[in-house]
Amino acid sequence: MKRSTRTKINRGILYAILLVALGLVASLADWPAIKENFLDVDVLETLWPEIVTVAAKNTIVYTIIAFAGGLVIALFLALMKLSPIAPYRWIATSYIEFFRGLPALVVIIGFGFAVPIAFGWRPPGGAIGAGIIALIVVSGAYMAETIRAGIQAVPKGQSEAARSLGMSSSWTTVSVVLPQAFRIVIPPLTNEFVILIKDTSLLFVLGVAASERELTTFSRDAVTTNQDSSPLLAAAVLYLIITLPLTRLVARLERRTQRAR
Amino acid sequence: MTVPVTAAIEVRDLHKYFGDNEVLKGIDFEVAEGHTVCVIGPSGSGKSTLLRCVNLLEAPTSGTIMVEGIDVTDPETDVDAVRSRIGMVFQSFNLFPHLNVLGNLTLAQRRVRKRSKDEAEEIARKNLDRVGLADKIDAFPAHLSGGQQQRVAIARALSMDPDMMLFDEPTSALDPELVGDVLAVMRELAHEGMTMMVVTHEMGFAREAGDKLVFMDGGVIVEEGDPTEVLANPQHQRTQDFLSKVL
Repeated sequence: MKRSTRTKINRGILYAILLVALGLVASLADWPAIKENFLDVDVLETLWPEIVTVAAKNTIVYTIIAFAGGLVIALFLALMKLSPIAPYRWIATSYIEFFRGLPALVVIIGFGFAVPIAFGWRPPGGAIGAGIIALIVVSGAYMAETIRAGIQAVPKGQSEAARSLGMSSSWTTVSVVLPQAFRIVIPPLTNEFVILIKDTSLLFVLGVAASERELTTFSRDAVTTNQDSSPLLAAAVLYLIITLPLTRLVARLERRTQRAR
Repeated sequence: MTVPVTAAIEVRDLHKYFGDNEVLKGIDFEVAEGHTVCVIGPSGSGKSTLLRCVNLLEAPTSGTIMVEGIDVTDPETDVDAVRSRIGMVFQSFNLFPHLNVLGNLTLAQRRVRKRSKDEAEEIARKNLDRVGLADKIDAFPAHLSGGQQQRVAIARALSMDPDMMLFDEPTSALDPELVGDVLAVMRELAHEGMTMMVVTHEMGFAREAGDKLVFMDGGVIVEEGDPTEVLANPQHQRTQDFLSKVL
């Protein structure tokens, strides 16, 4: 038998197995139940347009605020971790290890309930404000390690060249090292952004006003009200609409950086 | 031989340790103003470390280094100010990849020399012209050949109007056919009277452009003198062995 013929037969068998498996799943699936519980058009109609104008919008807004805040904290932590002064390194390391070691949910509950009760603290923006602060604190710890790695990935010769031209160590960091480090960390930071989008769903534990709900809280409330799971599928689709283009973007950016090397 | 009026670089009893490893074992060395001094020697001989100590990219363990009469090892010395008057060219070019050629040449002029954008650009153009790359002003380093990158690196150093230049194996990373252009630029600088310290394996350059040749091995200066003399008639066994391998 020719090798090409054998390859063709093998391919054919694999496709056949796939078709049988798909057919099996389709025949076993309870289509009426799926349609009624996840694709109830009447329920889905009640969600429109708030699921986009309120819930999806809030998800994106919370993510952007948490990401921006986390980035600022992360940059400071990364520079502290690379500081020649040991106590700065200790503080940064403790912070990073502490908040990376905890589940984000614990930190959100801590900032949302424990800290306000203990210290009589009224978080800016209410419960949701406390939740976003928690996300900033946690994402800052994760991104700090990413940025530190990015800074260290800039070849030593770069800062030597800048210093040999008489540039101070701070100017060297700002105009030579950081611009190159940020290029290196754009793909992993985009990944952090996607993770953060999903982490905003944890804010549902806080119990917030109707206008402050993000996708998960919104759909969960709608599931309870309608006694139907269709809102959950709608939320899932919206999450994917937001995250999939970003993960594709990460893949492209990573390919580009690889080519540039 | 005339006695030099001033030493641009004067190194006395320089020792440098990396951990327990003594890389420089008491170096006395000087470069007279306007002279070109080439330093040769096998790898690991400490020649690059000596060069990097002059602008304190490596901190000496002990000894003094005077640059234009200023003790750079003195903690009171403004190292950045001294460095801005010493141009340095690296083996691996070290151009800033996120900036184009013009940006590479103007960054330190603006940050350190506080020159205006126009002034910095004018000086950058002048120096690019000097190294024969005026047409590459908008190019990014990644789009230049190694030889072009190294000439841009020389122009970047020259744009600070340095009093002296340090070259750390400037042609070692280049393809053989690209070496000539870089050496031509360096030869011209030497003839114009730039004070230069050059760590190199290019014996031809050392013979033609050098005022003095220094042979280092094992962290000490074994032999130094007129380049033609040293190359033609080395006095020490170790110099003879080394030259017989490279010439």
